[in-house]
Amino acid sequence: MTQQLPADTSRRSFLGAGGAAAAAAFAAPIVLTSCRATPSTAGARLGPALSGGRELTVGVIGCGGRGGGAAFDALKAGPKVRIVALGDVFEERVRGVAAGLARAQPDRGTVPDSRQFHGFDAYRKVLATDCDIVVLATAPGFRPAHYAAAIDAGKHVFFEKPVAVDPSGVRTVLEASARAAERRLCVVTGTQRRHERCYLEAMALVQDGAIGRPIAAACYWNQGGLWHKDPDPKLSEMENQVRNWLYHTWLSGDHIVEQHVHNIDVVNWAMGGPPVRCVATGGRQARTEPIFGAINDHFSVHYEYEGDRLCASMCRQQEGTDGRVDEVIHGTEGTLLTSSGRAEIRGRFRWTFAGDNPNPYVQEHVDLQEAVRGNAPYLNEGKRIAESTMTAILGRMAAYTGKDLSFAAALADPMDLVPKDPKPGPGVMQTVAIPGMA
Amino acid sequence: MSNHDTALDRRDFVALSSALGLAAFVAPGCASTVVSGADEPKPLKVALIGCGGRGSGAANQALKADKGVILWAVADAFPDRMDACLKQFDKHPAKDRVQVPAERRFAGFDGYKKAIASGVDAVLLCSAPHFRPMHLAESVAAGKHIFCEKPMFVDAPGYRSVCESVKAARAKNLNLVSGFCWRRSAPERATFAELEKGTLGSVMAMYGCYYTGPLGTKKREQGWSDMEFQVRNWQHFNWLSGDQLVEQAVHSIDKINWAFRNEPPASAVGMGGRQLREPIPERGDVYDHFAVVYEWADGRRAFLNCRQEPDCYFENTDWIAGTKGQCFINGWGPTHWMKDPAGKVLWEYPADGPKPDMYQAEHDELFRAIRAGTVINDGDWMVTSNMMAVLGRMAAYSGQKVTWEQACASQESLSPPQYIMGPLEMPVEKKPGQYKVT
Repeated sequence: MTQQLPADTSRRSFLGAGGAAAAAAFAAPIVLTSCRATPSTAGARLGPALSGGRELTVGVIGCGGRGGGAAFDALKAGPKVRIVALGDVFEERVRGVAAGLARAQPDRGTVPDSRQFHGFDAYRKVLATDCDIVVLATAPGFRPAHYAAAIDAGKHVFFEKPVAVDPSGVRTVLEASARAAERRLCVVTGTQRRHERCYLEAMALVQDGAIGRPIAAACYWNQGGLWHKDPDPKLSEMENQVRNWLYHTWLSGDHIVEQHVHNIDVVNWAMGGPPVRCVATGGRQARTEPIFGAINDHFSVHYEYEGDRLCASMCRQQEGTDGRVDEVIHGTEGTLLTSSGRAEIRGRFRWTFAGDNPNPYVQEHVDLQEAVRGNAPYLNEGKRIAESTMTAILGRMAAYTGKDLSFAAALADPMDLVPKDPKPGPGVMQTVAIPGMA
Repeated sequence: MSNHDTALDRRDFVALSSALGLAAFVAPGCASTVVSGADEPKPLKVALIGCGGRGSGAANQALKADKGVILWAVADAFPDRMDACLKQFDKHPAKDRVQVPAERRFAGFDGYKKAIASGVDAVLLCSAPHFRPMHLAESVAAGKHIFCEKPMFVDAPGYRSVCESVKAARAKNLNLVSGFCWRRSAPERATFAELEKGTLGSVMAMYGCYYTGPLGTKKREQGWSDMEFQVRNWQHFNWLSGDQLVEQAVHSIDKINWAFRNEPPASAVGMGGRQLREPIPERGDVYDHFAVVYEWADGRRAFLNCRQEPDCYFENTDWIAGTKGQCFINGWGPTHWMKDPAGKVLWEYPADGPKPDMYQAEHDELFRAIRAGTVINDGDWMVTSNMMAVLGRMAAYSGQKVTWEQACASQESLSPPQYIMGPLEMPVEKKPGQYKVT
């Protein structure tokens, strides 16, 4: 069908040429993007939230940069939302976010002292409040336990990516997501590309055949360094690890899981599900100071998807190196190029995303809130983000060990990096992973 | 991708066969021998330059290729290497054609000049790669036919020198056969001919991997100078070998260049490191893993992962995505197939198809051409393949995106201040973000 199309055909005419079904899809992009493996887009509404419906209350667990940002994004999603509880391991973190919210949104963001909780069990206290939705934004190592507890407490959930750091955590998330589905609890995760218009339109085109069959892919998150926190001598090793969580695999999953999961998730989206196996290399070549824990500073994974299709994934955090964050999907008839705010198809059919691209970090809360209110179809991204998180963990496991690993075997692996009852005291020891030795 | 057999390490194979003397002669698949027409063929005198495992193997193959070949002179930096090499031929079926008395065994860094000037017709250039450009230039100037092992150079000045030699060889009608052995492997030739025919449509992406174990080291002996220590451990010093990517994985890069029709990429992004962290000087400054992405101006891409780490997963295969399907190559399997996107087999190399020894084929073709008065010149594509590897190393060492033009114009010379067996600084491994391509 695309063969007859001249270059620079607009999306409208491409879909028009595709017949009635595609034309109908264009009239309602949401229907178009909801097919197959993309439950996340099922409820996506690409615009401001409808104001109709009841007010929703939100509790936030994890008051770092992302948790604070998510609280503001939840408020921006619509006028009928209030933040009602905050929790974090560290008191000053909770106080900081509370002060910021009260200052910027005094009417809907003021959280009384009695609903500001801190300590390793703060999440239980937030879940014990009557909030409708919880935002889970602590260090990722805690996420599976917090998520399972949130579902069991009957909360709708916005949980940041990644949602686990090891296979045990992924299994916990899968089980909890199934329970959420039974109880019709809505679940949205922080892979905001799934809620970003340029990505949604591009993937709709891909699923309509605009690049033919997706056959090969590449994705990157190459950047310089990230923040770190020097140890506070007044705190225990465990607390200092949590403060400096990026650099401990049990807390962050390493940067391939913590950061690169975004791009891996996009490839899974295009390929129709997670890969079947991978082989990977990686190491710690430039960022070697002890403050950076024992994680790697680069990974290169070759994932294999069903049907002998490959994806090369690359991620790096090395100061002073060239950056690159994007995804490439090669199809039999064209290539899709995507990155935040940008989507382009090259090949027989040519298309470049143009127009409004609403803030996806707000949009993900719009989509969640509308689903919770019943203004949009039921939405549960739990299984999908568990699979994408597991894909990233698979890459890390393959790089750390030097082994050829299947997705199924890795998912069944007993590996469990997170202490059952984390509390102030000794931390979790980790040494740099040497392939062949693990 | 079903065949994940451990790839034979080519160097180990050669070293082992050489150590066993006759083994290479009677090994299956080594039976082809070019016999010239006459009973008493005109002698073709050959000089071997570089008497390690690969040089011994090449001499063996040259002797087998043509009954008129006489091994006439040898050169190596070290006398013991020459003696050990020649001793392997004591019980060789062609031992009468090994005529290298002590006066035609030339030791030292300038031994090659004397070997080339000893009245030979052809030279086998098999020393540590660093020295290849000067050996090649001298051989061409002296009008010799050449077998030139890969890699041909380790840096951009070497690239420019070899480009000049290639031109000069062509002008003088000299044979120049490269050690990119897959180019003379029958199943690979059939596969790339099929690719050229368009069975896979246009090539969009290619993925190669060379996952293998570490190369051997030599402990420093009493009396060895710094220079001797480094040259005897040449694989582990970037200035001598070009590092793993240039020295070994260049075979996979050569297949990428083959599939991309000798069109150099526009740029490369790379990463790598020394993750084994062995604190022994024999390990020099080279990395134990690399990952490179090559990009062409029209959006085609190639991805390479390689590793030399023990007790890891080994694989040495290639995978190509075309507009009409996929191609998988496992040269060691051997398995070569093309499938359409639905999985239907479009083409495969027959299980009972010929698989003559490719190392032997290099010499069969060289000496057949010398006899026939025809000219083989691998120069144009061999310098591209080799330079792509240098480009990839530059990208990985620096963390920069490096363009082809930038790499080819690089002024960085890896040469030591002088070629004498004496003091030499121990090189230090590169840190991405700190090392810059100049």
